[in-house]
Amino acid sequence: MTAVFVDNVAFVYPSGVKAVEGLSMRVRHGEVYGLLGLNGAGKTSVIKMLATLLRPTAGNIRILGLDPRENPAEIKRRIGVVPQENNLDTYLDVRQNLIFHCRYAGLAKTVYAPRVDEWLALLGLEGKAAESVLRLSGGTKRKAMLAKAFITGPELLILDEPTAGLDPDVRALLWDRVGEFRRNGGTVFLSTHYLEEAERLCDRVGILHGGRLVAEGTAAELAHKAGRDATQPGGVEAAFRRAVGGCQ
Amino acid sequence: MKFVLALLHRNATADLAAAKLTTVRMLVQPAIYLFVFGYVVGGMLPTQGGGYAGIMAPGIVAISLITGPFVSVGGGVISGYYFRTMEEWLLAPVSLRAILAALVFGGLCYGLAGGAVVAVLVWGILGLAPQNVGYMVLTATAGALLFSLFTLVLLLVPETPDKGQEVFSFLMMPMTFFGCTFYSYDMLGAPFSYLALLLPTTYIAEGLRAAYSPASPHMEAGAVLAGLSLATAVLIPLADWAFRRRLRDFTW
Repeated sequence: MTAVFVDNVAFVYPSGVKAVEGLSMRVRHGEVYGLLGLNGAGKTSVIKMLATLLRPTAGNIRILGLDPRENPAEIKRRIGVVPQENNLDTYLDVRQNLIFHCRYAGLAKTVYAPRVDEWLALLGLEGKAAESVLRLSGGTKRKAMLAKAFITGPELLILDEPTAGLDPDVRALLWDRVGEFRRNGGTVFLSTHYLEEAERLCDRVGILHGGRLVAEGTAAELAHKAGRDATQPGGVEAAFRRAVGGCQ
Repeated sequence: MKFVLALLHRNATADLAAAKLTTVRMLVQPAIYLFVFGYVVGGMLPTQGGGYAGIMAPGIVAISLITGPFVSVGGGVISGYYFRTMEEWLLAPVSLRAILAALVFGGLCYGLAGGAVVAVLVWGILGLAPQNVGYMVLTATAGALLFSLFTLVLLLVPETPDKGQEVFSFLMMPMTFFGCTFYSYDMLGAPFSYLALLLPTTYIAEGLRAAYSPASPHMEAGAVLAGLSLATAVLIPLADWAFRRRLRDFTW
C-alpha cells in the first residue's frame, strides 16, 4: 500500500522560481522516508505540496490514496504536520494551542481533553502548559509543535526539518516519538539536512538537489552506490556528497 | 460550523488574555469620544433639530462597528502572516471558504459587540437610546459584515498583508472622518455630499442616526440599505477571490 504517491511533480513559484521539477517518489504505509537536501533544494516545497498547502504546477500527488485537489480536507484530517517554522498561536498558552488545534480539527472535548494532558506529559510540557508561547525556548516551541502534529491521531506524519536547531535531548525525544508512531503503524515523511538523522531514523532516503530527486534508496543501497561498505556508518553521507557534488 | 465557533472562541480567549487592552479599545476610547465630543463640545454647539450629541453619538457607534471587524479580521490575517497562524488554520481539515467564513463571522460578532458596548455608553453618558431598534440592528449587522469583508479584501489583495496594512491605515482615517460620523449627511454641501456617498461609513452612520432619532434629518432608509447592500454584493465575491488567490497556495 502506498501512503504517498508523487508522480512527475513540478512546482514553480509565482515569481517564476522553479522549486521542484520532475519529482516522482513512493512512500509505503508504515515506512519512514527521509528527504535530504541542502538549503534551497526544494524540500519545503515538497512538504507543502504533500500537506496540501501548495498545488503542484504539474504532475500528480496522492496522499493516503486521495487527490489533494479533490479531497484536501479529508487529507488534512488524516495527516499531522510539523512545518519548518513555528506556527504556534502567540496569543495563547501551550495548553490552549493544543486545545484549539484539536478544535480546529473538529474533535469533541471528550476526545481531545485527555489527549492534551497525555501529550503534555509525553513531551514533558506539563510545567509549561500555562506559559505564553512568546516566553518559550526554541526547543519547547518545537515540542509543542510536535504535540500538535501527533494529537489528532494522524496516519501520516509530515515533518519539515523537525529537529533543526534542537538540543540533542529534544532531538532524541522526537526520534523516540517518531519510532513509537511508526511501531503503531504510522507512516512518516520527513525532510532533514542532518545526515545522521536520516541514516538512523529512515527506512529509505531520497536526496533532493536543485528540485530533482538525484538518489534514492535504503542507507545500505545508497552506501553501495557511493562505493562504501554498507555495514559501516556514513554511507548516507557519502551518497549525499556524491549526489550533490561539491555544493556543500 | 465547528471551525467557525472554534476560531471565534480563540479570538475571545486571546482578547481575555489581553483584558486591559481590550477594555481600553472597547470601553475607554469610545467613552472619551462620547464625553468630549458629545457631552462637553456637544453642549456648546447649537444645531438644528436637537443637540450635536444626538448627531455625533450614532457616528461613534458606527466607528466601533467598523473597528471591531478590523481588530478581529485584520488582527487574524496580520498575526496569521507575521506569526504564521494562518498556516495552522490552513492545515485544519476544512475548506478555504470555511476559514473565510470563520474570519468574516468573527469580524461581524466583534463589530456588533463593539457597537452594543458603545450603544450602552451612549445611553449612560448622553442619555440617548435608539428609537428604532430593529433598524439599528439591521444597519449594524450590515455595516459590521461589510467591514469584515472590506478588511479581508484590503489585506489580501496586495501580495502580503503588511502592504495591505499600509493601504488600510491610509484609507481608515478619511473613511472615518469623511464618512458622516461626526456630522450628518444633511450638513454636507456639494461636492462633498457626492464624495461622501462613495464611503460605506456614510450609510452606516446615517442608518444609525435614523434609528436613534427618526425625527432629525437623515438619509432615507432605502438609500442606506441600497448603499450597504451594493457594497456588500461587490465585496463578497471580491473577498472570496482575494482569499482563494492568496491562500490556495500558501507562500507566506
